[in-house]
Amino acid sequence: MARFVTVAKADSIQPGQIIKVEIDNFPVAVANVDGTFHAFDDTCTHEDCSLADGDLVRTAVVCPCHFAEFDVRTGAVLAPPATVPVRVYPVRVQGNDLQVEF
Amino acid sequence: MAAASTIAIVGASLTGQSAAATLREEGFDGRVVLVGAEPQLPYDRPPLSKNYLRGGMPFEKTLLRPPEFYREREIEMRLATTVVRVDIEKRALQLAGGDRLEFDNVLIATGGRNRRFPIPGLDLPGVYDLRTIADADRIRDAIVRGGRAVVVGMGFIGAEVAASMRQCGLEVTAIEPFKTPLYRALGEDIGRVVEALHRDHGVAMILGDAVAAFEGKGRVERVVTRDGRRIECELAVFGLGIEPVTEVVAGTGVRVDNGIVVDDQCRTNVPGVFAAGDVANHFHPVCGRQMRVEHWQNGVKQGAAAARSMLGRGQPYDEVHWFWSDQYDANIQYAGFHAAWDAVVVRGSLAERKFLAFYMAEGRVESVVAINQGRDLRRTLPIIKARVAVDPARLADPNVDLRTLAPAERPA
Repeated sequence: MARFVTVAKADSIQPGQIIKVEIDNFPVAVANVDGTFHAFDDTCTHEDCSLADGDLVRTAVVCPCHFAEFDVRTGAVLAPPATVPVRVYPVRVQGNDLQVEF
Repeated sequence: MAAASTIAIVGASLTGQSAAATLREEGFDGRVVLVGAEPQLPYDRPPLSKNYLRGGMPFEKTLLRPPEFYREREIEMRLATTVVRVDIEKRALQLAGGDRLEFDNVLIATGGRNRRFPIPGLDLPGVYDLRTIADADRIRDAIVRGGRAVVVGMGFIGAEVAASMRQCGLEVTAIEPFKTPLYRALGEDIGRVVEALHRDHGVAMILGDAVAAFEGKGRVERVVTRDGRRIECELAVFGLGIEPVTEVVAGTGVRVDNGIVVDDQCRTNVPGVFAAGDVANHFHPVCGRQMRVEHWQNGVKQGAAAARSMLGRGQPYDEVHWFWSDQYDANIQYAGFHAAWDAVVVRGSLAERKFLAFYMAEGRVESVVAINQGRDLRRTLPIIKARVAVDPARLADPNVDLRTLAPAERPA
């Protein structure tokens, strides 16, 4: 059953930064886009690279391995070689706790 | 362009499908016909030397688009169909079997075919090369049978095939005439890193020697080298580069010189005839010269650029060329244009195989290669495009954010 899990302190992720966290041993990436947090599967749907190792360009995350791009807000594919969207998760901030619904 | 016009695309692979998709995205409502020699819908070739070859990926996953993509957009597929010739005067494709297909504009996206050299025994069963899914299936079957493999030519395809075969447990010997793998593309220093990568994974590497013959009774049993080595094997794969497929325009007046010669908007010297992808020797506005590349990204982006150009909405195609190669746990990426360089600046550790190496000419970054540093490689693209001198000390310093070194993309 989905519940909100605290994954980090909100002030530990700077705007433009992506971090990788693990929830139940499952890798999830959290990106800070101008103060708004977005969580999504850390593993690229193309070939298993960590998206948190990639760049955040405005609202797009760019996979470091083959430059597939996803919209961090929706998970939609913005550039190939990925063809399958990445899963996104609801995020909330409670005090300074950054929480992901998982 | 009149609404009823027809655009024919010769070559139903990465470039062709990208062009067809872009034509529809741009609102072209005429007829779009994609003609391909292979029987399959357009599929992705990079996995053929990697995941697909290792048996880790079904064919369906290699399709670039699902079948309904073409149906929904009314992109007509003429597969398993060879174009004999582009008849420029009559504006028609002459197809094998006698059919003709009239067009108003045509895009040549025929790509390349593997180079074959007159090496004795090259046609023996058990000697393979890799370009198509059918080629990959044949090599896959041989891998499953197992045994000892020889890879001839340690360019990118040879190196990836060697890695995949090691990962499948085969004994692999690689033969490369240059001093290191990938020598022509990357030079000696980085070539040595790739050599070590393969040696560490158990590939026996023979450098500075070349194949003289494939020998065997009815099937390959050994590879004999120029220096007299005899390497027993059950299979051999050669990767000696590709040549552009240009016969369809032979004798038509379309200029051919190391591929089909086009300007920076994919236009040939003949109005209405365009070319893109591996076959296109294109003028690159950033480096100011003609070039032909065989990269995945160029197939996608130049196919799209050609589509817009065919609709009269062309823009100079000025992408910084980029490609990747995955070998074992190494994600190798390259971007740029170097023909020659006068210095190599390294950021990171060659020994740990986690670095960027910048190829410099007159103080500028001409190109860059990276292993497992894709994020920083991408941040180098604007630096290459800017064509300005960069302080080598700052390039080499891992604490300097590369985004601050490019004039156009300096963060606000």
